[in-house]
Amino acid sequence: MSAELRKSAARFRPATSEPRLAARPPRMIPVGGGKGGVGKTFVVANLAVSLARMGHRVVAVDADLEGPNLHTCLGLAKPPVSLADYVAHREEDLGKLLLDSSVPGLHVIAGTRSNLATPQPGHARRVQLIRELRRLPADFVLLDLGAGMHPAVVDYFMVSDDGLLVIAPEPTSVENAYAFLRAAFYRRLRLAMASHDVRSLVTLAMDEQNERGIRTPLELLREIEALDPSEGAHFVETMRAFRPRIVINEVRTAEDVKLGFSVKSVCRKYFGIEAEYLGYVSHDADARKAVRGRRPLVDLSPRSDASNYLRRVARKLADLPSARG
Amino acid sequence: MKSLTDLDYYEILEISPDTPVSGVERAYQLALATYAEDSLAGYSVFESGDAATMRERIETAYRVLSDAEARIGYDATLVTEIEAQTPSVADSLPPLAATLPETLSEIEPLEAFDEDSNDYDGSRLRRSRLRRGLEIESVAQVTKVNPTYLRFLEEERFADLPPRVYVRGFLMAFATCVGLDPHAVAGSYLVRFDDATKAVSRRFRGA
Repeated sequence: MSAELRKSAARFRPATSEPRLAARPPRMIPVGGGKGGVGKTFVVANLAVSLARMGHRVVAVDADLEGPNLHTCLGLAKPPVSLADYVAHREEDLGKLLLDSSVPGLHVIAGTRSNLATPQPGHARRVQLIRELRRLPADFVLLDLGAGMHPAVVDYFMVSDDGLLVIAPEPTSVENAYAFLRAAFYRRLRLAMASHDVRSLVTLAMDEQNERGIRTPLELLREIEALDPSEGAHFVETMRAFRPRIVINEVRTAEDVKLGFSVKSVCRKYFGIEAEYLGYVSHDADARKAVRGRRPLVDLSPRSDASNYLRRVARKLADLPSARG
Repeated sequence: MKSLTDLDYYEILEISPDTPVSGVERAYQLALATYAEDSLAGYSVFESGDAATMRERIETAYRVLSDAEARIGYDATLVTEIEAQTPSVADSLPPLAATLPETLSEIEPLEAFDEDSNDYDGSRLRRSRLRRGLEIESVAQVTKVNPTYLRFLEEERFADLPPRVYVRGFLMAFATCVGLDPHAVAGSYLVRFDDATKAVSRRFRGA
């Protein structure tokens, strides 16, 4: 369905109809970044609200079970149920974890009340969770990921080929973003490769100090080609399909704006990864105020630069050419 | 996928063979910034000497591709090289550059923004400037307008700006520099300016 069609469909949909489009799986948008404090949760909250205001059905999921606060950014006080209940097998139906928000069309799955001993679900439960997330009755499912490179975080990021990477214009954030991309990419490759020998080669390459001296994806590709040409072709395809999207947050200068293009260039030349520069969000003093007031910025100061930029990223995500129409 | 040493000039600058000269210039500036010694995007990835080698190759690529004659000659050598190459798995797929949008074109198109209204305020001026990748200082250099006044324009510090006739000139220069319609910008912005200054003079008279 074209973006135009989808939009007009959304506009004419009566408020009460629920099962419409039920057959169509939601678009999964994981939002990660490797480093903490770069504004992932801020971006998720505001994109979720923007998409919902555009008429889409949105579910924002707090997958950051070790530091959940998406519910706070969206103004939900104390969630009675959360994703932790699913992780702990207390609830099998994700639908029952959906919380209403103040924005029509936007529901939230909070991440609070997790078990401190085992906050992250094991692999099998994760696979189940991701399958259930794909069945949610929504047009968009946004996943707010935690910091770091825990396999669980990486797995959530890989629910789609074009996850969002939030980067702040500071060396630490850029460095962690590359590390995160590398982790995501190798994990994905290992899952995609059929032959056991090739898979162990990928595993070996994941160690940056590996004894075979494989430093870059290209060097890995050459080794795989030597081992099994058909897996080599498969490797290239898998890499092509991976199109992470970059959002630069807390932009202050034009140089910060250009950082997105530079990161894209480095991703291409050094990792062979084709990233897309989706947009940037300006630094905004009101962003803090918004978090403190537990209201998303796009609602608190809709006319601010940052809100304009956030809505633009949301429109790009929804494939809408512009605000009009 | 190619190693850095195998990249042709187009791949180095990340442009397609039909990119016009203006696009070559822009891509060159961006590539230089990306591979600068203190590049934020690269410092954690580049090994020592990487950036310097890359900059050399960027310069060479730019020298050839920005010169119409040299470029035609270079394009001819590319064709023969491709014919002579032994195919590998990676090369059997369409070349990356051909399937990708041109550098900078993703965020840049002016129409791809929310701004269809004819309302121009200070923050919209700032957004337009950033989208063009321009700092206040570079706009000042082009327009010869004092950077402080440019900042006041963006921050709508109407009381700190000089008389209307100057502000109009600043606006026209600013708009032209960042690729907006100067008359539309001046007309719309001055309405806000007039409202604000009128309110101030009323207050003075009332006191």
